[in-house]
Amino acid sequence: MCYNLRENNNGGEIVLSKELVHEIIATVLKYGGDFAEVFVEKRYTNTFEMKNGDLENASSGNSFGVGIRGFLNTQAVYAYTNDLSRESLLNVAKRVGEALGEIKIKDLTLNLTKKEFENKHIVLLYPEDISKKKKVDIMKRAYHSAKKYSDLIKQVVVRYWEYNQNILVANSEGVFSEDNRVRTRLMISAVAEHNGVMETGFYGPGAGMGFEFFDRIDVEEAGKLAARTATKMVKADPAPAGKLPVVIANEFGGVIFHEAVGHALEATSVAKGASVFAGKLEQKVATECVSAVDDGTIPNAWGSTNIDDEGTPTRRNLLIEKGILKGYMIDKLGGRRMNMEPTGSARRQDYTFAPTSRMTNTFILPGDNYPEEIIANTEYGLYAKRMGGGSVNPATGEFNFAVNEGYLIENGKITKPVRGATLIGKGYEIIQKIDMVGNDVARGQGMCGSISGSIPADVGQPTIRVSEIIVGGRNK
Amino acid sequence: MTYNEFKDKIFKLAKEKGFEAQIYYSKNYEFSLRLANGQMDEYKDANSSSISLKVLKDGKIGSASTTIFDSPERLLEEAITNYEIIDSNEENLFYDGSGEYLEIQSYYGEFEKLSVKEKMEKLNKMFEIASKKENIMMVPMTVYGHQTTEVSMANTLGLDKTYKGDGGYAYLSVVAKDQSPRSGFWYGLAPKPENLDIEKISEMAVKEAVSKIGSKSVKSGKYRVILRSDEFASLISTMLIPMISAENAQKNMSPLKNKLGEKIASEVLKIKDVPYYEGSLSNASFDSEGVPTKEKTIIENGEFKTFLYNLKTAKKEGKESTGNASGRGIAPINLLVESGEKSFDELLKELNNGIIITSLEGLHSGANPISGEFSLGAQGLKVENGEIVSGVEQITISGNFLEMMKKVEQVGNDMWISFGGTITPSVIISEIDIAGNE
Repeated sequence: MCYNLRENNNGGEIVLSKELVHEIIATVLKYGGDFAEVFVEKRYTNTFEMKNGDLENASSGNSFGVGIRGFLNTQAVYAYTNDLSRESLLNVAKRVGEALGEIKIKDLTLNLTKKEFENKHIVLLYPEDISKKKKVDIMKRAYHSAKKYSDLIKQVVVRYWEYNQNILVANSEGVFSEDNRVRTRLMISAVAEHNGVMETGFYGPGAGMGFEFFDRIDVEEAGKLAARTATKMVKADPAPAGKLPVVIANEFGGVIFHEAVGHALEATSVAKGASVFAGKLEQKVATECVSAVDDGTIPNAWGSTNIDDEGTPTRRNLLIEKGILKGYMIDKLGGRRMNMEPTGSARRQDYTFAPTSRMTNTFILPGDNYPEEIIANTEYGLYAKRMGGGSVNPATGEFNFAVNEGYLIENGKITKPVRGATLIGKGYEIIQKIDMVGNDVARGQGMCGSISGSIPADVGQPTIRVSEIIVGGRNK
Repeated sequence: MTYNEFKDKIFKLAKEKGFEAQIYYSKNYEFSLRLANGQMDEYKDANSSSISLKVLKDGKIGSASTTIFDSPERLLEEAITNYEIIDSNEENLFYDGSGEYLEIQSYYGEFEKLSVKEKMEKLNKMFEIASKKENIMMVPMTVYGHQTTEVSMANTLGLDKTYKGDGGYAYLSVVAKDQSPRSGFWYGLAPKPENLDIEKISEMAVKEAVSKIGSKSVKSGKYRVILRSDEFASLISTMLIPMISAENAQKNMSPLKNKLGEKIASEVLKIKDVPYYEGSLSNASFDSEGVPTKEKTIIENGEFKTFLYNLKTAKKEGKESTGNASGRGIAPINLLVESGEKSFDELLKELNNGIIITSLEGLHSGANPISGEFSLGAQGLKVENGEIVSGVEQITISGNFLEMMKKVEQVGNDMWISFGGTITPSVIISEIDIAGNE
């Protein structure tokens, strides 16, 4: 494949003039509040769906909208519109200011200077430059690979999703920055049937890249992974129920840290005191083998951006170091409440949501053990090879997540497949029970839902072992 | 460009190129107030609109959408490029707008009439009721909001329908003091503010949290349970709705394929799809293809009566659409599990010994509508001799949804209306697998 290198696609795309942006900010402050922010978003999306190897749905979307936010101390008002006329935008700005009230800044001296930064996430092949047919060809390759994996595979659904998002963020502190985010993802669901029982397998690799993503991954292998899970699980017995040691494989296994710990380290819950980790900085919260980071700077990762959705540059935030709590993920409003600096963690699905603190790419750092060693050291337990999604209540730390592909470990060996396991526990308890950490870190891609919508996020980890965890399965 | 100008232009251009065209225009208004520990956390006041276009030729469809109404040419072009890559042989159709449409009132405009101050007062009241209750240490989130949606659908076959609906909601989460914190959450929704009982919503959230104080896990085993109405609604939405889609059955993705006319559930269950249910915010007189909605029985005396169809899946089986097209898939308008006779308290006596499931977690990942298997985190209340004796935490419930539907012994009369229009009572289930800490 040959690449047409070109400059970062940002700039020139956003049609709101700097003068109008300035006027919006000034209008908010004229009517009330002590901080104003404008978020302008333009997005082009393609979603395709293939069943039985035929492309059934193809849809493209163009959206354009503006979010206007104001603060008064730690209170926030948010409005959005996709009526882009000057009159409408200034009217929305006025409503935001009036809703805040009290402090009215009449003469605003504001120097909006566009901040240039190095683009760490170079895109080579933009979605709009690649023919749709080429995209469909990728889907067919994934379909055929999954379908021919086994006679048990009765259906394969392949979804293709990509978007090109241009944003402009400006605020009354002088921020005026643009960013371009391109995301590409392939999602394969396979259905296997055996003796009237059906099971599914899923694999959904994605990246902060354009179409060149498909030169970096093995599309056929992705199809096989989805098919493998379905075929293994359709013949599996139900997982055992009760408290067991669990070895969780690398990559998407990191969903355990994301749910059990990550969400409770977001300012969204910490600032309200509604997190079990509030007020615990520098305290020991996990076993010494646990260190973890949230890193929004990893080039072209699924959860990476140059700047967050408030215009703060993203960075690598150390969360836990050798079991000691080192940091939270903080947005501007959370920062005001916690009296701490924002950490480049403000994210939102799109202009219809106000930003809040969210994870980007979150993962447990590598430890000393080989994965084989971890298995060999486990007498009896569950091996969670592929995880599904999960959720958590940050206020109580109670999490749950699903094991999509699981096996029993007996006498230090992986033995028979088991299905239908869910793992539950309390985050602050579980990270004190991680007793072995492998050296095989990998990341997997997911969508993370919270109060600012659904956003792409990487989870990751090496193979780890939790000494005991409640496994939801069937009783004998 | 106005909507009408945009539409006329698209229809004309599409016809010139030999396509039928259909437009779905939606205009939304959203207002919400959110408190964090009693302080204004978010005040949202927003308008948005979008146009989705479908073009049709030779049974194939291409789609495109936009929020910028400047270029009908570009939108049409995009839909046609999508049309060109479709290689499925399935026949898609548009509907001409014939037939009888129910008259349904779905817009009242009462929430919009409230001043911001009045809404703020309601919100503050919800917060105060909850925060002043004994044992409550924190009220991290209190929300009061409402939305209005206007939809216009039109196509080149003559369909021309509009819909306007509104409704409001309120919810809160509270945290109760205990050795480890206990959370409570409750929500309500209503077409008019006078029907949105904020006092009750606050009190229910508190009750939920306080009832968990001192909760413990239980021994793993098989238990008789009450699945409370709100959680039964969640499980039904996640599992049954995809299973009764004709498309999923045709595509080998529903365990109910080939099961029409069979007993798939307990005799005591009657499940219908109804276009109107008082208090629901999902009522509709036409579906997302413009087809009139109608009432139909899905399960009666435990017997599976019908799948739900859109135009395409109905045509495939030589049937008529049941008026259940929903976005890109198929879904009921209001999925109603018909009420039984007994109150919740009577169910409790009937249960005698067992567990009430009051919360299910991880439905998006731990419940699989294709295999029918579920394994979910749960919380609940332990019942001994017909009385609630303590809270239950750190358990999972698991099983096969269709097997579970056969084990429904009793149906209550405590109807719950969910956001998505699933309306269910509480049920007693004779046996379910629970995993705990022993």
